[in-house]
Formats: sequence, C-alpha cells, structure tokens
Amino acid sequence: MSEPPPYQIDIRGLRKRPKELAPETESRIDEAAEELGFVEREPRKRRGRPKSPRTGQVHARVLPGFSEEIAAEARRRGVQQGVLIEEAWNLYKEDRGM
Amino acid sequence: MPVVTVASPKGGAGKSTAAVLLGTELARAGASVVLLDCDPNRSLSIWAERGQVPDRIRVLADIGEGEIIRTVKEHDRDGTVVIVDLEGVASRLVSRAISQADLVLTPMRATSLDANVGARAVRLVAEEEEVIGRKIRHAVVFTMTRAIRSRAHKGIEQSLRGQGLDVMEPPLMERIAFADLFERGGDLHDMPEGGTIANARDNAAAFAQAVIERLTSEDAT
Repeated sequence: MSEPPPYQIDIRGLRKRPKELAPETESRIDEAAEELGFVEREPRKRRGRPKSPRTGQVHARVLPGFSEEIAAEARRRGVQQGVLIEEAWNLYKEDRGM
Repeated sequence: MPVVTVASPKGGAGKSTAAVLLGTELARAGASVVLLDCDPNRSLSIWAERGQVPDRIRVLADIGEGEIIRTVKEHDRDGTVVIVDLEGVASRLVSRAISQADLVLTPMRATSLDANVGARAVRLVAEEEEVIGRKIRHAVVFTMTRAIRSRAHKGIEQSLRGQGLDVMEPPLMERIAFADLFERGGDLHDMPEGGTIANARDNAAAFAQAVIERLTSEDAT
C-alpha cells in the first residue's frame, strides 16, 4: 500500500445524477424485464406467522382468577400462555431440586 | 457519485472479479466505495472475510430484489461510488439494479456462449433506457483474456463493436493475482512483490481508469 496510485480520480467529476423512478415506472421496468426473461427468482416468503415450536400440550383446568391473570400477563408480554407455564414449571423444578 | 452495476446473466464471466478490482482501485485512488453483494454465492463477502477490507470500502450483503433500489439510493450520494455485483442469472434483481445504474458493465469471456448470453444484458439495458427515459451507459469488458488474442476473441470483439457496443480497453487478463484476491482478501497492493504482480496491478489500474473515463465523459450525462 506504499506506492502512489498510478492515476488520480477527480472526485468532482464523479457526481451523483438523478435517477428517481416513479412507482409506475418501476412496474414497467419489471414488465419489460420479464418479457426478456429477467423474472422474479427469489423464493416467495411464507405468509403468516412462522410455525410455533410448541407442539406439546397440557390439559389444565384452573380457577377463574388464575386463568384471567395468566391470559393478561401473556398478552402484556406478547407471548403464548404456554411460555408462562414453561417458566412456572422451571421454577417449580428449581424449587424442588429436580 | 456514480452507480456501477456489474451484470451478465452468464455465470463465471468474471463479474465479482471485475467488481472487486474496480472497487479496490477506486478506493486506492481516494474514492469511498460501497460494494453491494447481491449474489447468493456471496463472492464479495467471501473476499471481504478473507483479509482486511481496504480503507474506504464497505461491503453490504444479502440484498434482494425488494431492497436493491432503496439500498442503492441510500448510498448513492456525494463522495461514494456504489458498485453492484449480481448473480449470473436473468432475474428481476438484475433489471432493478440496472435501473439505478450510471454505468452497466458486462464482463464477458471471449467465447461465443458468453457473448450470446451477455447480449441479453445489452438488450435489457436498451429496453430499460426506453422505459426510464434516460441514457444508461453500457460497456463490455472482456475477462480472462490471454496476451495473444485468439481468432475467436478478435471475431467476437469485432462483431460487438460492429453492433455499436462499447468494448473497454484494456480487457482484464487471465491472472493468478486476480484469482488470489478471493483467497487472500485485500487488494493487489497487499500481495507480495514478484512474479507478474506488477502487470496485474497495471491491468487493474488501467481498467479502473477506463471505467472512470466512461463515468465522467459527456455521454454519461
């Protein structure tokens, strides 16, 4: 990296030029490209939310007060109720030395 | 500052090599360079990971057709040259990148297959010029050429020039140092002296100079 470059760039000569495209022009570019075989090749993204890894199920009936509190806390944190049950179970195991 | 899109639907034509050589030479000469790696093969990212990325160069990867126009616009500003390296396929990503270009560079080996496939990029540029309503400068650069040009090379070159295409001089020669860039990272000036490295450096510098001339000439406006 010690030698000087063999030429100099006149940075002022390399100027930004306007290339604004109206949205309708963008679609016309896509159409023109498609006619020449330049097509969409990216895999389509899956719609909707990704599959949950939580495939296990518990069958729990609880007293009304508990069910409302669990539901409210899950909503507040933006998680599934199952996450709270997992956390509670982990605490239970810790407490019992399991 | 200008946007240079390196495009050919043909794989293995030397797009990434041309992009890295151009980027490193411009950076070395004082320009800030953003290299957009739009190729799922991630050739530019591999180059960047192999060694120290030279001063004044940034490499951005994983840019898809949904992001290309926005990303180019974000970096197309005074003081920065944007170089877009694309996958060797005919895709919407290619056409969108061309729509943002000041110069489209089509690397091509001197074979009739490369010339035929590369011609699709030429047609696309012409079509986009019509849609956009502005001139997009386009040039072909031969790659992996030998010191003595084959008859096939001369014939293809003559045919391209005959069709009014801009064929850059010098071509990018077949050089071990160019391939080594993707093994070692960095630029040609990080490589040890000796062998034909001086010739490789001269070739890359003259190529970059030829690109600059096209970006600054009156026809580029």
